[in-house]
Amino acid sequence: MPERLDDRELERTLSDIGTRLDGPKRDMWPAVRARIAERRAQPWWSRPGFDGRTLAPIAATLAVILVAAFLLTPTFADALDHLLSIPGVQIFRVSTTPTPMPTTGAYVSFPGQRAASVAEASRLAGFPVREPAALGAADEIYVELAPVRVTLVYRTREGLPVTALPGISALIVEFKGSLDAPILGKAIGPGTTLEAVPLSSGNAAYWLAGQPHQFFYRDSTGNIQPDTLRLAGNTLLWDAGGITYRLEAQVSREEAVRIASSFR
Amino acid sequence: MEGRPAEDAVLVERAQHGDTEAYGELVRRYQALATRTAYVITGLSTEAEDAAQDGFTKAYFALGRFRSGAPFRPWLLRIVANEAKNRRKAAGRRPTVDLSVAEDRPSGDTALSPEEAALASERRTFVLGALGKLREEDRLVIAYRYFMQLSEAEMAHALGVARGTVKSRLSRAIGRLREITAGEVRADA
Repeated sequence: MPERLDDRELERTLSDIGTRLDGPKRDMWPAVRARIAERRAQPWWSRPGFDGRTLAPIAATLAVILVAAFLLTPTFADALDHLLSIPGVQIFRVSTTPTPMPTTGAYVSFPGQRAASVAEASRLAGFPVREPAALGAADEIYVELAPVRVTLVYRTREGLPVTALPGISALIVEFKGSLDAPILGKAIGPGTTLEAVPLSSGNAAYWLAGQPHQFFYRDSTGNIQPDTLRLAGNTLLWDAGGITYRLEAQVSREEAVRIASSFR
Repeated sequence: MEGRPAEDAVLVERAQHGDTEAYGELVRRYQALATRTAYVITGLSTEAEDAAQDGFTKAYFALGRFRSGAPFRPWLLRIVANEAKNRRKAAGRRPTVDLSVAEDRPSGDTALSPEEAALASERRTFVLGALGKLREEDRLVIAYRYFMQLSEAEMAHALGVARGTVKSRLSRAIGRLREITAGEVRADA
């Protein structure tokens, strides 16, 4: 047994041990990549690590939707058919659509900070916010910062029917998406159709129509929240230049594509 | 700048925007560090590799919440260390671990005589034995400082404590290690 080690020898021996500690024998990336792919194939609200108990307290009405959604989770897991992934969005086919929540009140409010102009919204969001020429300037713009999400509200537009939301003709949501950190999820039921449609820019868009579908999003603390007090109607989703766009309006597929193709 | 490896922050940002290969580069860059960190906690090399891989996977899906501008290395090590601790806890392992190092590697210090080399090897075994008896937290703080050469700021990030706490934790851990080694010398003398 060695003599008693003084501090200097102890430190030197520790450093010596450090240089001799074994690392992995081979490149770890292929194994990690496989684990990532495996986990990505699962819907993000049922991935390991997501803890339903950490859900932030929310308004009772919101809680009703949320609980319904979580009760359905095992069914989701069985019936989910991962249909597509565009950056920041995941869409899943489910056997049952959560019961729609009736929207009450004449005026719908939106989360985030209200921006005075597209320029101000762009500055706050950190990316250029764009508007469709076909709809003109938005009536209101809201910017959420964690995660960054911009909502353009079109209260009424001639020729556009109002949506299920009182006094609103169209909504556009823009955010910087990432394929691997979805901030928006959708569960669509049997009454909803989904199809890929080309935009005039050549980008692919996805058209969801028919029965309303539920949106979820991940808030700044990583918790999952139902998007707003509503179920979305006809929706077009697409991605351009790293920004994901979502247009909601009760219009035909052709009209939605025309609006989406007019972004400037 | 061709040939110069990209900064962690650049790779992280690329990975956040869906470039998985950029993340692959980070995995290769830190796989040794991550595996050693997990090994210091679990004491089993196969389990350490598994914990490191799971840590990398978890970190990947947490990239969206990674604060831009923060250092990647200690953030990753914190996730890996948690993964290793959870595994150890789940397995209900005894408080001590058996640690060993490669003895067949030529020493960095070529000036050592065969006798000195043998003595150095004996000291390593002795100190490793003492390390294995330390608490997990003490082992980890010593490993970050002496095995991984993390800076004080990085150690604070990796341990999730204030920077001022790092020094006191390290000196407490070294003190305990010294007590164990001294105790064993006396016991065996």
